[in-house]
Amino acid sequence: MAYILNRLLSVLLTLFLISVITFAVTNILPGDVAMMIMGTQSNPEALAGLRETLGLNDPLVVQYGRWIGGLLTGDWGQSLVFKEAIGPLIAQKVVASSLIVVMSMAVALIAAIPLGVWAAVHRDRWQDSTSSTAALVGVSLPDFFWGIMLILLFARALGWLPSSGFVHPGDDFLGAIRHAFLPSLALGLGLMAHLTRMTRATMIGIMGQEFIRVARAKGLSEREVVWSYGLRNAVGPVLTVAGLQIGYLFGSIIVIESLFNFTGMGWLTYQALLNRDIPLIQSTVFVIAAVVMLTNFLVDLLYVVIDPRIRLS
Amino acid sequence: MRRFFKGKGLIGTVIVLAVLLVAVLAPLVIPDSFATQMNMRARLSGPTWEHFFGTDQLGRDLFYRVVLGAQTSIMIAGAAVLMSIVIGLPLGIVSGYFGGWIDNVLMRLVDTLLSFPALLLALTISAVLGPNLTNTIIAIGVAFTPFLARIIRGEALRVAQMPYVEAARAAGTTDAWMILRHILPNIMPAIIVQSTISLAFAILAEAGLSFLGLGTQPPEASWGLMIQASRDYLDVAPWTALVPGAAVAMTVLGLNLFGDTLRDVLDPRTET
Repeated sequence: MAYILNRLLSVLLTLFLISVITFAVTNILPGDVAMMIMGTQSNPEALAGLRETLGLNDPLVVQYGRWIGGLLTGDWGQSLVFKEAIGPLIAQKVVASSLIVVMSMAVALIAAIPLGVWAAVHRDRWQDSTSSTAALVGVSLPDFFWGIMLILLFARALGWLPSSGFVHPGDDFLGAIRHAFLPSLALGLGLMAHLTRMTRATMIGIMGQEFIRVARAKGLSEREVVWSYGLRNAVGPVLTVAGLQIGYLFGSIIVIESLFNFTGMGWLTYQALLNRDIPLIQSTVFVIAAVVMLTNFLVDLLYVVIDPRIRLS
Repeated sequence: MRRFFKGKGLIGTVIVLAVLLVAVLAPLVIPDSFATQMNMRARLSGPTWEHFFGTDQLGRDLFYRVVLGAQTSIMIAGAAVLMSIVIGLPLGIVSGYFGGWIDNVLMRLVDTLLSFPALLLALTISAVLGPNLTNTIIAIGVAFTPFLARIIRGEALRVAQMPYVEAARAAGTTDAWMILRHILPNIMPAIIVQSTISLAFAILAEAGLSFLGLGTQPPEASWGLMIQASRDYLDVAPWTALVPGAAVAMTVLGLNLFGDTLRDVLDPRTET
């Protein structure tokens, strides 16, 4: 319990620091919100007036306080590009992104765990080098390149799947999956390669341990030894690494969602950055960093649940 | 040493050397105009004897563009990694060597920065500063710093607990001398390995940034920029994406293989 409380306090502190960094970075921007609203050619007096009403002349600490106060009370401000309230806008985009993040994670794990185990069991033989080479090629290609290849193959040449757009799962579930499939695959392939390498390394470490030898000595089948003794112990570390990759995924969705015109958080963040929509930049960047941090926290907790040994130390 | 001459080590070494050679020599040997020469009659032409890799939407030769683009991509990635080492090294060493509250404060900050996906951080910095070549370097460099600082701290912490450091301390070595003479040389292998792998990531990051239009700007020719330009012509001329994409993939693959081999040689503890 003390462990969880301790971690919770640390999460709150990190969230606070994330908000400070986000606010600081966006305030180095040359030009401010008033200039964004009225344009660079606007009348200086009107500009000064707008600055005053928006509170842009207040000290930065006061401005930060107002922003964070708004975040906490649910008033996230207005997007300058979309002319909409930011809160609902983000809530809606988070749904879209969750869909491809979950799907790509699933694609990656389903393929990576068997591949990694297969490589580890046949260490230094052709199975190992095939799987390792494939994984290495996978991590070496930029994910948007995978995306382009997938569009060329499945959308243009074969015409099986749509290459752009987002459909809400509530409206048309099958359509939603079809639209999310190619972006998820593009994201998942790189991740899969990474997780395959990780699974292989972890499994090799575990298969060399005492209890595996004991299991074999007991006369268990090799299959049972690998899957119920080896893999069970490898799942924890692999899941942890997979959880840590959430950060990588949330970086990649910016590129992939823009490529596939998939209107999720990544796409929204890109629009905000391209148009220098300062309030929207602040909120999207903050939300992404917060989600990444909270996911890592949950993975840590999950790890404690899976592996009781951690609780004791 | 022998590991560099066989198997994956050999492939990695050859690719890395070849790419470096091209990046350094090509701009000296091939005039700029070869990559910027437009030929409207040969727009989006497929690979021919005249144009090995075909041409782009303005009829510019893709072979020369990809070869000359190597320098931009490698230079940006190299400078960015160098920058992240220059900032991350003192942070990591101070944190790992001195420990205590400095370590607590610095690592809290680093952990917070690690919550920002590196690409998001780089994109935001680039958008804030205004996208151009220098700012792309700064954006990637800053975005990679927390990661390097963390790794260097871990290494410094490990080395600081070694018996020889304790012995040197007992002999009255000052902190500054200790860091220079004992810590730095012993964490160097890990830093070299990590820089090689970071270089691969930096090339991917530059490609990603330029692909989104928030990195290198035309008329520079970088690989990411070439892939971005190809987007509108994928249907008619897929090679405009394949050629620069293959260049990125080959370089990153080479760096990964080279980095893996370096790790096996310099830092055998973490062998995978």
